[in-house]
Amino acid sequence: MTGSTKACILPILALFLLAAAPAGATVESQCPTLPGGAVLGDLNGDGFIRADQAEITLPVSPTQVCLHLTAGDGFVNMADKSTALPNGTSMYIFSFSNVTGVPDAQVMAAGMLAAEFSAPTLKFKEGDNVYLSLTNVGMTIRPDLFDPHSVHWHGFTNAAPIFDGEPMASATISMGSTFTYYYNVVEPGTYMWHCHVEAPEHMQLGMLGNLYVTPAQDGTTLGGFNAFAYNDGDGSTGYSPGRQYPIQIVSFDPKFHEADETIQPLPFAAMNDKFPMLNGRGYPDTINPNTLVNDLGNPSQKVNAIVTATRGETILLRVSSLSTTSFHTLTTLGLPMQVVGTGARILRGGGLTTGTPLYYNTNSVTLGGGESVDILINTENVSPGTYFLYTTNLNHLSNNKQDYGGMMTEIVVN
Amino acid sequence: MNGKIMKSPGWLMALMVMTLLLFSAAAHAKIDGITGTTFNLTASKTHISTPDSNSIFVWVYDAGGPIGPQYPGPTLIVNQGDNITVNLTNNLDEPVSIVFPGQTAATATGGTPGLVTREAQPAGTVTYTFTASRPGTYLYHSGSHQDLQVEMGLFGAIIVRPTGFNAAAPATRTAYGAGTGTGYDREFLFLLSEMDPNIHSLVEFGRMIEVDMSKFRPVSWFINGRAQPDIMAPANVAYLPRQPYNCAPIMHPAETVLIRWLGAGHDLHPFHTHGNNFQLIARDGRMLSTTGAAPDLAVSNFTQSVEPGATYDALYTWTGARLGWDVYGHTDPTGAGVVGPACTAPQELNEYAADHCKPLPVALPDIQSLQFASFYSGSPFLGQHGFLPPGQGINNLNGGYFFMWHSHNEIEITTNDIFPGGMLTMIIVEHPSVPILEQ
Repeated sequence: MTGSTKACILPILALFLLAAAPAGATVESQCPTLPGGAVLGDLNGDGFIRADQAEITLPVSPTQVCLHLTAGDGFVNMADKSTALPNGTSMYIFSFSNVTGVPDAQVMAAGMLAAEFSAPTLKFKEGDNVYLSLTNVGMTIRPDLFDPHSVHWHGFTNAAPIFDGEPMASATISMGSTFTYYYNVVEPGTYMWHCHVEAPEHMQLGMLGNLYVTPAQDGTTLGGFNAFAYNDGDGSTGYSPGRQYPIQIVSFDPKFHEADETIQPLPFAAMNDKFPMLNGRGYPDTINPNTLVNDLGNPSQKVNAIVTATRGETILLRVSSLSTTSFHTLTTLGLPMQVVGTGARILRGGGLTTGTPLYYNTNSVTLGGGESVDILINTENVSPGTYFLYTTNLNHLSNNKQDYGGMMTEIVVN
Repeated sequence: MNGKIMKSPGWLMALMVMTLLLFSAAAHAKIDGITGTTFNLTASKTHISTPDSNSIFVWVYDAGGPIGPQYPGPTLIVNQGDNITVNLTNNLDEPVSIVFPGQTAATATGGTPGLVTREAQPAGTVTYTFTASRPGTYLYHSGSHQDLQVEMGLFGAIIVRPTGFNAAAPATRTAYGAGTGTGYDREFLFLLSEMDPNIHSLVEFGRMIEVDMSKFRPVSWFINGRAQPDIMAPANVAYLPRQPYNCAPIMHPAETVLIRWLGAGHDLHPFHTHGNNFQLIARDGRMLSTTGAAPDLAVSNFTQSVEPGATYDALYTWTGARLGWDVYGHTDPTGAGVVGPACTAPQELNEYAADHCKPLPVALPDIQSLQFASFYSGSPFLGQHGFLPPGQGINNLNGGYFFMWHSHNEIEITTNDIFPGGMLTMIIVEHPSVPILEQ
């Protein structure tokens, strides 16, 4: 629906949108309980309301999870910081924010211009019953647009169109209203999520994030581990406590974002990504532990890409790509990689626990858009120090015109 | 709200029955192509049309017959062990040839020597022979001036049927032979290519000296020679006379679909299957197997990067199991809320019994809060229709589930900057009671 070329429409802020909300539209998140139960809220502030964390009384299931996201627009800053541009290039984005626990009546205000890149990381457990409410708060900077938005859980097993978020085959939510997706989570692994509405535009604009599911085997002890990538039966996908890191390959074309912000025709085929990133940041922002604040003063980049371990530990990298333009190869200098999963399945014959082992040792992995791999890094024979994880698409080691950056992060072994 | 499919207009059912009678013989055989052991191809000039109303000049292989020049070239469907002869006549203005990647001991006779194989000079001929020794999915394409000629359209697919193959018998309807666990209910071809129309214009207007393949920048992407939405139109539609092949996969729940992917262009295309993971069972006509008995090295995945020159075979199924709600929307007739096998509502074929009669866990917004497109039936349930605004859902006659199968290099699901387009089709999962028309 973009591509219209009305010149000189100035950005109009929030009040216009509220006034323009269609009759009958309401913000209405869904987190059902049994009779007499109550949703207590996101008590621990982790962005999820979970029955197993005593945040719901009388839940509909002991593994019930509720969350509430908004979809809209906002700004983020790129890593090309310099004396002349101390905060880096400001980039217009479409994306999501997490408003779990915010009262429905306040969600429109909380979600406007609050888009984050990467989108909030979604982390579930095998067996979860997920109620994900998505409120479309509209694009404040683009009042000419009335785009719907969606959540596409990329790779969901036996998906049904109604909760697949693919707009040609299902329903998508209009501005000022809420759609609640339901997921019965049965397959652990590394997925990804994004808006599927007008996908080349909405994804290039930033509506994408990490998504992974931890296996039921977690909490048992196998092979010296008690956390695993998959239900492997032997601990061979185990990693050390707290050492799992989602890493998402993404990239922005500043001309495309500028065209969208200024209501110009969208040059899809000419898309040329100049800001390659991991988890929504170019190096060295990837290793900044803090939330980055945009030029409006809003916290807009909450996910970093720092990987740390103590020598002897095993790291799990959950790598996915949502580049809209290109494949990418990631490598590490000096660290052994073992690929144990792909496409949210254990890397054994047929993707089955009992299948023929297909794990392989490597020094690099190559992913096209929409692919994921699970990588174990055993630091047993590694000297303490700082190692780099970066793309060998070497022209992507830059933040636009500024070299020495881009799709790179650090793995620190202490 | 939800009307069963049986309430479809009478004329529609009549049309479906008629069409079924016409096409029932084609069930399970929906990879269009030509069969035999000797193929007479002509390298020809023609034009194709793309959904952005463009007409693009192409060079293609032409097997004559009712179709004539076609993009891509005819799919050659042959049997394992057959000795294949391909006679090539050149109606172009430069030497042309064919190479057969993956076929061992192909020989060329006649014509003139070329860089990688013997060529047919303009108005000349050349002959190739090989034995189709292994079953699988293969490419053929020009071995002359390849960077330009393959871009111009001189490529096609070869399917080698395993020994004993018989599409009518489930036990022998396999990709890699009876007993290998590679059986399928339906098969579909995904021959992936892309195009930079500027190059084609230069060739068409005789400006060959200006052709610079280093400036190759595709703006159109194709499956089997068509872009979305033409991909989903029936095969052999009159308005696409030079693009006879479609890609309109369709299935019933729990059926197995064989995907045959081929990378026929310059670029890598990460191809994503909505709805479920697939099992990757072969690359380049070689089953992923330690012993050859079964694809024990198959990988489960939701996206396959199809590299230029590579072919992949994969098995896909969709059951709707374990969603935590009844995809058919059954309800307990007693009103007592009984779910699972104990619910007395009749079950559908291959239904996941544990979810039988489980209600949808969430309330859907009213339709004024939603936006729709033509493949949504208006109902979350398989085989049902719901109330929709005028003009919506018109391409979903049977309340089927549609899943997008597409390149996840998202710029490739456009055609000349128009979205949606390009390398994108939809697979339809139809209710078990709906007869399937592979058209």
